[in-house]
Amino acid sequence: MNRAAARPLVEFEGVERVFEADPPVHALRAVTLRIDEGEHVAVTGPSGSGKSTLLGLLGLLDRPTAGAYRFGGVETTALAERDRAALRAGSLGFVFQAFHLLPYRTVEENVMLAEVYRPRGTAAPPRRTRKARAAQALDRVGLGHRAGFRPDRLSGGERQRVAIARALLGEPALLLCDEPTGNLDGDNTAVVLDVLDELHADGLTLLVITHDEAVAARAARRIRIADGRVVGARTAQGATEGAVEGAVTGADEGREPAS
Amino acid sequence: MKRPASRRGTRMGRADLVDESLSAVLARPWRAALTALGTVLGIATLVVTIGIAATAGDRIVSRFDRLTATAVTVVAADQGLPAGPGEDPLIGWDAADRLGRLNGVAAAVALAEIPPGTAPPVRANAVQDPSSVSARTLGVVAAGTGLPAAVHGRIVAGRFYDAGNVARRDRVAVLGEEAARLLGISRPEDAPAVFVGGEPFTVVGILGDLRREQALAAAVIVPPTAGADRLGIGPVRRVVVDTELGAAALVARQAPLALNPGHTAEMRVIAPPDLQRARGAVEADVDGMFLVLGLLCLVVGAVGIANVTLVGVMQRIGEIGLRRALGASRRHIAGQFLVESAVLGLLGGVVGAAVGVVTVVGVCVARDWTPVLDLALVLAAPAAGVAVGLLAGAYPAWRAARMEPLEALRAA
Ligand SMILES: Nc1ncnc2c1ncn2[C@@H]1O[C@H](COP(=O)(O)OP(=O)(O)OP(=O)(O)O)[C@@H](O)[C@H]1O
Ligand SMILES: [Mg+2]
Repeated sequence: MNRAAARPLVEFEGVERVFEADPPVHALRAVTLRIDEGEHVAVTGPSGSGKSTLLGLLGLLDRPTAGAYRFGGVETTALAERDRAALRAGSLGFVFQAFHLLPYRTVEENVMLAEVYRPRGTAAPPRRTRKARAAQALDRVGLGHRAGFRPDRLSGGERQRVAIARALLGEPALLLCDEPTGNLDGDNTAVVLDVLDELHADGLTLLVITHDEAVAARAARRIRIADGRVVGARTAQGATEGAVEGAVTGADEGREPAS
Repeated sequence: MKRPASRRGTRMGRADLVDESLSAVLARPWRAALTALGTVLGIATLVVTIGIAATAGDRIVSRFDRLTATAVTVVAADQGLPAGPGEDPLIGWDAADRLGRLNGVAAAVALAEIPPGTAPPVRANAVQDPSSVSARTLGVVAAGTGLPAAVHGRIVAGRFYDAGNVARRDRVAVLGEEAARLLGISRPEDAPAVFVGGEPFTVVGILGDLRREQALAAAVIVPPTAGADRLGIGPVRRVVVDTELGAAALVARQAPLALNPGHTAEMRVIAPPDLQRARGAVEADVDGMFLVLGLLCLVVGAVGIANVTLVGVMQRIGEIGLRRALGASRRHIAGQFLVESAVLGLLGGVVGAAVGVVTVVGVCVARDWTPVLDLALVLAAPAAGVAVGLLAGAYPAWRAARMEPLEALRAA
């Protein structure tokens, strides 16, 4: 991808998040950040450094206490809650460490949940073909054969892939993953990461929070956070980028080259 | 890249709302059943209470109806004799016509009889036969032509004498059913005669199935004219009035005035207790107690739904966070929990109504009553259940909607 011509998807300018507590918690301090369309970014940092706080802000699940956040060129900090909900429904996908699958619904129904809330004014895909689209999304993560299962009968890796399929159904512009492999063993981690790599190769913009070096190594770009500050953001043109991309290519050996 | 559209926010289809709520309720069927139990009891109690009260009220009406509730009797004091020489008797034989003009009078008849003890023997034939047992001491009564209607009797054979018989002073008679049996007369069409104190009367009919003035079953009934001519019966002692339902009190007040405005004090009126009040009192008794009980059950049911729904909200914080992340607005979250509790209330209402109806019918079958079930009541029960559910769900739904998405996701 030609990075020089890339369009910015996420633009943070001096974003702060202070939690009201005694004393107040400065979870994020003056974060300025840009993520372009089509990027694959890893966010690393010690526990409590503010990674999940960052993801909440990026995902419009939370509002910054100061600073500006443009998403797809739209200034979001002034948006009403319902407009933020519309952006979440239409442009954002989430994958959480805890999966967040509804235990009382089948795999298929869990995936279909992503189409229950649609942005107003957009042509909503017809309800009667929702099942078919869910099946397609499940096929994409290699779980077409588990559609009728309850989540509690799946392995951790399978559950996370269901969550990814659910996020895909909303056709997001940005997929945000918070420790997607945090609850998984090595084999399951590899399967989930392969799925994410494929999605990125198909053009999805990806941001993955992780503790795991192997997970971070798959990203083309890494952002380090410590104590609420971005301390090691390597720009896309950075000197170390080649090495990181080399790692990605290495991991992708034996499959079709990405992009 | 999608941009925010001109119309704002997210939408959730109605089918999706119902789907999401129903699957959440049905995911825990036993919990749903237990949650709805309080509402079931409340609605059932209300349906039974109102149903039984209506049935019992109907029973009371039907028991009073044709007999007591519509019977008014005016009795003349001092045997109805004229106050002085040359004056008219207290009540004339035109009593039926006078009362017939009053509102609420269905039928009326004036009666006079030969005082007991002085009644002449009645025979079925003229021959004095000592071995015959056909001589009977029966009542002898003079009555107007309105008698069958006023006492709810039925002409079992022949006919009742008419105004023509009265005007022509015909010597005809109608026998009470029992009198006819005792005298061995069953075919008035053969024009048999009876002899009252030796005076012959032609029997024209037999009157049976008396619901009032049952003593008349063992009497010989003659027109007032012939009765006065031949047997010296008179003046009028009593007037029996059959009123419309609910008109008894009014008729009782107006009858003496209509009969003899100047001498109302000399008449005694026998009227039933006020029907509407009797019925109202019974319904109020039954209702008051059980309505309170039913409403209490409903409150308990509502608290039960509220409690379980609130616990559900707390257990499903993660789900709430997830739905918000998927684009649900606060309103969608509140709507879902409201519909969930409304479904529980509806369940309670439907089952409660069914239990209530079955109970009412069961009680009625056991008591051999006719169940009186108001369709509106049966249909209102599920609606009441939904109302209870919505009321109970309001606070939990508000709590769920108030949650911040990030906190909800973090808490789970
Ligand atoms: N609602 C809150 N109220 C007060 N403090 C909070 C709140 N949420 C987060 N914090 C604090 O903000 C800091 C950053 O939290 P955050 O969850 O972003 O960390 P993290 O980098 O995701 O950590 P981990 O790797 O353990 O998930 C922490 O010190 C945390 O205690
Ligand atoms: Mg975290």
